[in-house]
Amino acid sequence: MVRATTGGVLRSYRADLMNSFISMNKSQDTVLTQRNFNSYAEDPASASKAFKLRKSRMAVQSQYKINDDSYRKFQTAWSCLDTVDKLIDTDNGKSITTLKGMTLKMLNDPTGDARKTLSKALDELSETIVQTMNQKYGDNFIFAGADGHNVPFEVVDNKLYYRGVPVDAAVPELQMDGATPPAPITDQNGDYVLASAEKAKVPDLQMTGTTPTTFTATDGTAFYVNKGVTATSKADYDTAVANDPAAAALYYEDSSKNPPEYYLKSDTMTKDAYDDLQNNILKDDTNAPITVQIGGKGYYVMKGTDENPSTISDADYKKAQTDVEKLNYLVNEKHFVDIGLGFQENENNQLIESSGFNDAINGLTFLGYGIDKDGDPKNIYSLVQRMKDLASSVQDGQNWTDAQYDEFDRLVGKLEDASSEFKVEYTDLDAGTTKLKNNLALLEENFYNLQEQYAALEDVDMADALTSFVWAQYCYNAALKVGNNVLSESLMDYLN
Amino acid sequence: MGTIGTFDGFTTARLAIYAAHKGLSVTGHNIANLNTSGYTRQVIDQSSLKVGANDMYRSQLDNHVGTGVLVNSINQIRDPYLDIRFRNTSSDVGFYDTQLSGMQQIAAILDEVGKGENKGDGLLYAHLEKLTEALRNLGNDPESGNDTLVRGEAESLTSLFREYASRLQNLKAETEEDFQQQLSSVNEILTNIRNLNNDIRQNEIFGDNALELRDERNRQIDALSQYMKINVTYSMEDVGAGKQVEKLTITLGDANPDVSVDTDTTVLIDGIFGAQIESPAQLPTLNPNFGVDGEPGNDCLYLDANGNPTNDIAQAAKKDNPNYLVNVTKLVDSKGREWEDSKTTWTEANGGTPGQKAVYEIPIGSTGWVDGNEIEVGGKVFKIGTGGAISVNDANDPAKMAAFLAKNLTSDDYIIRANGANLVFTAKNAGAIGSKGPADKPSVTFKPGAGSGATTGTITPGKATETTAGVDSDPPTPIPPVTVGNYTTTTSFTEMDGKWYQVTTVTQHTNPVELKDNDLYGKLQATREQLTEKGEFATQEDIDLDPDALIKRGIPYYQMSLDLLARQVATQYNSLNQGFMVNHEGNYLDDKDQVIQLAGSPISKTNGLTQAQKDALIADGCVVMGSDGKPITDEKGNQVPDINRWLGANGAQRPEGSGVLFSNRGDGDDTDNITAANINVSHSWSSRAVKIVPTHIKLFPTGDKDADEALKNSTQSDNINHMISMMDTKLVYDPKTLDPDALGKNLFEGSFNGMMNNTCSILGNDQRVTTVKLNNSYTTQITIDTNRDGVSGVDLNDEAMNMMTYQKAYTAACRLMTAMDEALDRLINNTGIAGR
Repeated sequence: MVRATTGGVLRSYRADLMNSFISMNKSQDTVLTQRNFNSYAEDPASASKAFKLRKSRMAVQSQYKINDDSYRKFQTAWSCLDTVDKLIDTDNGKSITTLKGMTLKMLNDPTGDARKTLSKALDELSETIVQTMNQKYGDNFIFAGADGHNVPFEVVDNKLYYRGVPVDAAVPELQMDGATPPAPITDQNGDYVLASAEKAKVPDLQMTGTTPTTFTATDGTAFYVNKGVTATSKADYDTAVANDPAAAALYYEDSSKNPPEYYLKSDTMTKDAYDDLQNNILKDDTNAPITVQIGGKGYYVMKGTDENPSTISDADYKKAQTDVEKLNYLVNEKHFVDIGLGFQENENNQLIESSGFNDAINGLTFLGYGIDKDGDPKNIYSLVQRMKDLASSVQDGQNWTDAQYDEFDRLVGKLEDASSEFKVEYTDLDAGTTKLKNNLALLEENFYNLQEQYAALEDVDMADALTSFVWAQYCYNAALKVGNNVLSESLMDYLN
Repeated sequence: MGTIGTFDGFTTARLAIYAAHKGLSVTGHNIANLNTSGYTRQVIDQSSLKVGANDMYRSQLDNHVGTGVLVNSINQIRDPYLDIRFRNTSSDVGFYDTQLSGMQQIAAILDEVGKGENKGDGLLYAHLEKLTEALRNLGNDPESGNDTLVRGEAESLTSLFREYASRLQNLKAETEEDFQQQLSSVNEILTNIRNLNNDIRQNEIFGDNALELRDERNRQIDALSQYMKINVTYSMEDVGAGKQVEKLTITLGDANPDVSVDTDTTVLIDGIFGAQIESPAQLPTLNPNFGVDGEPGNDCLYLDANGNPTNDIAQAAKKDNPNYLVNVTKLVDSKGREWEDSKTTWTEANGGTPGQKAVYEIPIGSTGWVDGNEIEVGGKVFKIGTGGAISVNDANDPAKMAAFLAKNLTSDDYIIRANGANLVFTAKNAGAIGSKGPADKPSVTFKPGAGSGATTGTITPGKATETTAGVDSDPPTPIPPVTVGNYTTTTSFTEMDGKWYQVTTVTQHTNPVELKDNDLYGKLQATREQLTEKGEFATQEDIDLDPDALIKRGIPYYQMSLDLLARQVATQYNSLNQGFMVNHEGNYLDDKDQVIQLAGSPISKTNGLTQAQKDALIADGCVVMGSDGKPITDEKGNQVPDINRWLGANGAQRPEGSGVLFSNRGDGDDTDNITAANINVSHSWSSRAVKIVPTHIKLFPTGDKDADEALKNSTQSDNINHMISMMDTKLVYDPKTLDPDALGKNLFEGSFNGMMNNTCSILGNDQRVTTVKLNNSYTTQITIDTNRDGVSGVDLNDEAMNMMTYQKAYTAACRLMTAMDEALDRLINNTGIAGR
């Protein structure tokens, strides 16, 4: 600039003064808002990051509430289970107010004086356990898995149901044929023959054509002779009777022969017995007896009773299958909540399970379900009911029969097994509670960390901000002072 | 020794006083205008005066002395180069300042930094997260109270979307008003400059430089340069009589990078003619072939509704002007006269027959006139002889009498002259007698005057003799006017000296010009871009207008980004709430609770489709369609089967309460074209006919829906979990979702919040870049302005120096006059008085 004019100097000064004022104003804003930036434009990267951190903080805040809620639910569940545990055997069976205590007392009550009372108490205790397992947290049933709005356990006709499914459901083993692949054997009604059905060996008799060869004893008894048995001659019979007169009763005499022949009764089967057997065995759809091979030998399948059936209808079999499937599903049913573990889905839009927390508590897991290899229920309530029924079957004032005692003792053992399972699951729940508790602490820590992180981005260092402001103010004041001098002096002021 | 002028010194002193006084006046004017915006420092241009030429008899000993000082003119000091640089920078500042201002206004709506709870949780951000929180609570316990809470958050979210959209729309409307206001301001400036040009021209013609008017014109040009890039040129204009005055021309400043475009140099001001600019809501359809030679109709500027060329703007077909394109009107002067520039050329014409004038001669036999006779000629009476109009001798001389008669005779058809003793009658118009020529042959009648006694002279006009026959003219075939571009050629034929000449006049006009998208720069262009630019949403039509359309972002871009986000939220959650029921194994169920089969197997939601099922769907045409109505393909180029469409068409079972959550109206469930401006919680959700579907899983359905005793799962929330995880799911934000014709790449791939963050980050970054550009331009402008002021500005020190200089000069001149007075007094009064 060759020539500095008054106007030019003033314009330049005005622009510089404005810049100085803007700087001071910006520093002032920083101090007053206590923020490093007040718009994306000031620092897009930091603003973007700060929003992400704030979003994470808000998420953590919300996840903390969910976690806290689950934690309290688990704590309540733990309290319930603690109560149930005490009802079973917390005192290691020393107290008679526990299931174990009472069952031991009953075992040790040969005279049966307290059996009725104890039986009733046993029943009540089992009811109490069920009621405890129907506890609520808030509006939801704790042990209902993913069906918190409905009562999980229900007793109908002394049978326990979990969410409408009998807890003792089991798929019975069917008697299979020898085909490849094996198929279930069905009776003439189309029902499946149970593997557990009673069986009777198929008699192997001498045949005349398709019917057994019939003999008639001198007393008129019609009988059949086993295959391969030969008649005893009159001479041999007489010798045997001579040696032991009682031996005569062991033989049937076939007087149709001359001289008569004799058959050991053990080698024969009376026609009545044969007919009775035929009437009590299952037959197929051709009305032929159903036979199964066991150890290379043929057996008839005996008709069952209501208590001990030998067949099962297709519908009942399928229901049993479905019930078992249901139980298996329910015991593994999950209800995931977001407690800050990632909560992401895979490519099939299924939640990655490790990214959520399963807060479903399935009561079935604790009380047991299904039957064991002995066919006994695993469920504590069902076991107790079985014991109660057994105890009730003994008439007042009478002692256990040995069989009853053994059975009761066996069931006590089963109860012990169920109790052990209960404790395992109870401990697992404790682990879940601990996980939630730890996660709460982690979330809290995350919350503060996130706050610190975005505060570090957003919040000003007041010392730095004030220093900057004071410096900007100093610069502005200096600019004003310079301006005063710029405006005051010129050659005009020195003209006379 | 030379001569000495006695009063030479007085003249010198007088001129010196005059020059010093002028200097003081100019200095005073400068000081007075120290604070006048646009004022240019004035200086006087003075030179020393020398009078007289070289004397032929000048003595060698004589020395010429100058005779003082002359003030030639008063001038301004300006540097045109600095003016050009200043105005170029001014358009930069105008562009970036307006662009930044627009972005700041968008940021005032979308930028949520420091807003919301906890000193900066944001509003839309926070509501998206609050919706997630409400979903978490619902997932934790899917009961109706929590569903209401989710709906409440959804209502807040949609309300916020609508508010943002409304504010953006208002901003656009305000910017549109501002644009029209800017056009008015520019037009006012253009009018002012045109009128100032006229005033300056007038002043210049009368010898005044009109410096103050030039200052005002410069101020107006500076103001104009903020609005648009301009090119200012000065030239000399001939105003006749050898006088030339300065002419100022302003054109657009060649802002369009496309070299094939010349509309970016359209003339705005041409001396006393000026144009106006306008951006009407509807534009007339221009004739694309206008100015192309060779085809009929190419001389018409517009096309009518049928595509026919027309020059009548009222008949022209109108088209909407969504891009706020700007027109430059014709150049007109302050009286509304259109600018024209004509050039005429003469060439000998081909064809035609030249006309010929008839010529007749009539002999005059005039003798015997005496003094006092009178003769009446052409209605006038002339006396002959003493005191008369012609002497007796001349009257009796036929040749002189013929000359006298020729002088006093008049005819409408003939030019009369004397030829010796004959009068020659030449027809005024070429052509045969009684045709294009005179109606009759000429004839002369003389008669004596009535008031002077008997006539003695002989008047015997002879018979008219045709010396040249009259011939009718026949011009060449007329040529109609031809307009090509801004040029109109008119042709006429003129007969001269027995030849036909073709007179061709080429007249240059100005026509309205529709500026291209990038022809403007400065405030106007920045405002246009704020109003029109769509960034990645730009279509081929936009790119045809502006090749950089995909990277420019104005209000429409941010509106559409917000629309895209709103639609994504609505689409995803509507889809999740309209899924189909599956059994506990993850297989889809029909309305009868039966597992649906496709290609011989159940359709598994958990495991996805089998290859056979995919093939079946594709063969059935059941594939995912893009927003353009065409099937979309995966990265391998295969079509993507659309199982949801197939399930919907094949009776798949929907859960209770299933339905859309978001719609385009609060009183309906229509999901078409959901935008930020219309997104609402659906009517069904509001009226609780629809609720958030917690799960799509039906446990162990029996296959008989009526008798269904399926296991209940009242608190299962797998679908709500989908919704929660959806908040952080990476989604593609494809501009084609909103406009199938959009050509930009995906805006973003990420979560809802991420999309919002991305949009604001883009805005923030653009603001930063523009701020830097603005600061640079502004600093440059200040520097150039200061430099310009260094040349043209008033400085008090300078003026103080000038004031002192002129004041001293004035004093000295006065002293010179006193000295001269004293010297002459000595010479006149006190010289040669010795011995008195």
